[in-house]
Amino acid sequence: MREIIYDVFARKDRGDTLAHIGYIDALDDATAKVYAWKTYDEQNWFEMCVVPRSAIILVNRDDGPFARGGAT
Amino acid sequence: MSDFVDVSDLSDDTRAALRRHIISLADTKRFMGIRYSDWLLGAPTLETCIAASSMAQDEWGHARLLYAMLKDLGEDPTAVEHDRADDEFANVSALDEPLPDWAAVIAAMVLVDGAITAALESFAEGRFESATSRGPKMILEEEFHRSLGDAWYRRLADSTSEEARDLLAAATRSMLSVTLAWLGAADSEARALVEAGIIGDPKAAVDSYRERVGPLVALAGIELDEVQPAQEWDSRRGRAPGQPDADSCERVRGDRNRALFVE
Repeated sequence: MREIIYDVFARKDRGDTLAHIGYIDALDDATAKVYAWKTYDEQNWFEMCVVPRSAIILVNRDDGPFARGGAT
Repeated sequence: MSDFVDVSDLSDDTRAALRRHIISLADTKRFMGIRYSDWLLGAPTLETCIAASSMAQDEWGHARLLYAMLKDLGEDPTAVEHDRADDEFANVSALDEPLPDWAAVIAAMVLVDGAITAALESFAEGRFESATSRGPKMILEEEFHRSLGDAWYRRLADSTSEEARDLLAAATRSMLSVTLAWLGAADSEARALVEAGIIGDPKAAVDSYRERVGPLVALAGIELDEVQPAQEWDSRRGRAPGQPDADSCERVRGDRNRALFVE
């Protein structure tokens, strides 16, 4: 079953910097939202969002953690 | 003046009906949690395992909130939670046995967990104050269960694996009739709750449920309008006849915790 890598970003309080907190593998956007919320539940997040890794455009280097693209 | 019912003004029959309703909702949530917990190390991916674990905890937390509503009826919930015989549990009978495969877990997530939420929505919109204050948070948390169930149901129904599609259809067929009967219960106990304004018309809850899950089960080749509620009914517990498997009852009651002097 083909899965997609989603990167997870969150901020604890309004005004905090949105931080990259991890990633999950999911079937689609709907399951990505559930997996992210259930997996990274160590905080009572003010805001969380997920981004398909394939949508991230590399700017200054091509060997960073986001360089591997979207598919597992 | 409050629009909530004063429980002390309810007739004995209505109080008994309210007690049955609370216990049936709570038991179903507790067994839903057991069935999720059975898969927290066996689900298809690490993320799904974590979700199953989290949903099991959600269900047990919700069950505890529901059992606590018995205090409004002057009853200590401890005995109900920990000292009942197997044949007193009032969960939806679709959860009586362990779910044999992942397709059955997904069918239960959509059909049974969805029915509990539909029943809870009706309860939370009624005139029983504890349900109106505690219900909305439970319903909100259930949104994640619904999203996950719907996405996986679509995925399995659309699978290239004939076995996956067959298992999903079989699980769906086995759960629908008894779940529809439970959600749409219209016996004297249910009517007493409707008359007291504690729950809405069960037919409306069933119509809403059919509207929501109908398009999904159609993907598995099942025409929901052709599925009728099961006829066999145990009015004492508000569910179909039968009882859960003994091992799950032990876990639900916490028998082994007591053996370890935990509780």
